[in-house]
Amino acid sequence: MPQLSLKAMKTFIKVTEIWVPDKERTQLEFGSGLYGGLIDFKAASEQQLFAYNEGLPGKAWAAGHPIVLTKFEHSYFKRTAAAKKAGLTCGIAIPVFSGDFLMAVVVFLCGDDEDHAGAIEVWRNNPLSENSLNVMDGYYGTLQHFEAISRQISMPKGQGLAGLAWETGLPVLVNDISKADTFIRASDAQQAGISMGIGIPVSDNPGHSYVMTFLSAKATPLAKRIQIWIPDQHGKQLICQQGYSKNSNDLAEIFETITVNKGVGALGRVWLTGMPVITGNHEPDYNPELDNLSSMLAIPVIKNGRLKAIVSFLF
Amino acid sequence: MNMLNVLLIENDLDNTLLENSLKDYGFRYLKSKYSPAFLALTKEITPDIIIFNLDTPSKKLLTDLQTLNQQSPIPVIMFAGDSNIDTINQAIKAEVSAFIVDSVEHNRINSIINVAIARFKHQQSLNNALEEARAKLEDRKQIDRAKAILIKTQNFTEDDAYHTLRKLAMDRNITLGEMAKNVIAMSELFK
Repeated sequence: MPQLSLKAMKTFIKVTEIWVPDKERTQLEFGSGLYGGLIDFKAASEQQLFAYNEGLPGKAWAAGHPIVLTKFEHSYFKRTAAAKKAGLTCGIAIPVFSGDFLMAVVVFLCGDDEDHAGAIEVWRNNPLSENSLNVMDGYYGTLQHFEAISRQISMPKGQGLAGLAWETGLPVLVNDISKADTFIRASDAQQAGISMGIGIPVSDNPGHSYVMTFLSAKATPLAKRIQIWIPDQHGKQLICQQGYSKNSNDLAEIFETITVNKGVGALGRVWLTGMPVITGNHEPDYNPELDNLSSMLAIPVIKNGRLKAIVSFLF
Repeated sequence: MNMLNVLLIENDLDNTLLENSLKDYGFRYLKSKYSPAFLALTKEITPDIIIFNLDTPSKKLLTDLQTLNQQSPIPVIMFAGDSNIDTINQAIKAEVSAFIVDSVEHNRINSIINVAIARFKHQQSLNNALEEARAKLEDRKQIDRAKAILIKTQNFTEDDAYHTLRKLAMDRNITLGEMAKNVIAMSELFK
């Protein structure tokens, strides 16, 4: 097996956090997080609290949909100084709702890496047209042309990554976007070096549909591996519908043949509670270049109060 | 000229008996008193052997010797006036290669040094063998654990589990022990 280059396995998500309602459920407190080697930023975060509509997680809670914040300076972001020191420049907050009630907010923080080619988008259904989505906001790094194209497109239901996720209500992963017939921006993606995309429906209140898309290049993958787990046809167990990583991973594939019972293990807990979870850790001796998978974020996709799928990001 | 470098630590810097013996046998040496800077001094001059000539080794000195033994072990000879059993035990615990009470027979210093070095080398090889055995045992435990995980999650037989583990390790060009750790780590993610 060829040695992986040092650059190849850097993921462009640098920090992942879960913020959860406190005991009174009136503010958000730190649930768990993955910080890699960013120990100072972790220390600055663990004691934070966010009221409704305060800071990035609080704003996402109040808005009821994902928020992308591409500039921390002079914004409502509360940890600007610590983020700057850690080289973090962009944040995405994804609220996980069951109906009107917030389960948790997942926050991703990215750094403006020169080598980073990827995008994180929030698509929203067009109020003027029932059957199409438009980019509400996004983080595109250095991909200005791709951003310009993306902001002009209307994505019909059932087409493109976001459109398919919207139609099915399920996460959709395409591992070679530039060749996918269903991906409307295939040629633009190819030009931008984008290879993989995942669309995740994140909110489905009547009249308001939101889909997150994560697009990444081979050199800076979103995560080391992404999996989609869905209930089996009887709804009794979860099975892995799809697993993707830049390089094949037979160890991960072995674990993707397991079935998950409700309440058992990390994924079973997500199913039981509707809450995202983080497992594993990679603290002081964290090495992002290592091939092994040492931590996982699992996010539920909930519709009408029921679990439709779980998307797991392995780092 | 003896090529060994000796760090000589003496309470009484005016006492030159041991120093003269070392000179006679052609050792190169640096003489000093024990101080809080002992470890830094040792790190800087990297002697081949350290000789202490003291009344009683202090607790701090013995602690320093333990630290030295963990970081960069070298042979240590201790001439002491203290025959207290606790002192002797602590010196042995600090892996002093030779502990000589109430005597500085300078005409024997060359032999004492040679024996101390030989004893030190023997101790080091025992320590290395022990460490290797510990690592192998730990690897064995990890491999057994990884096999158990594969048997439970994949319904493998023990043979299948072992062969799968072996193939995964070979594909990655890593040891079976390292692959076992990866399997365990992966399984922990789903717990």
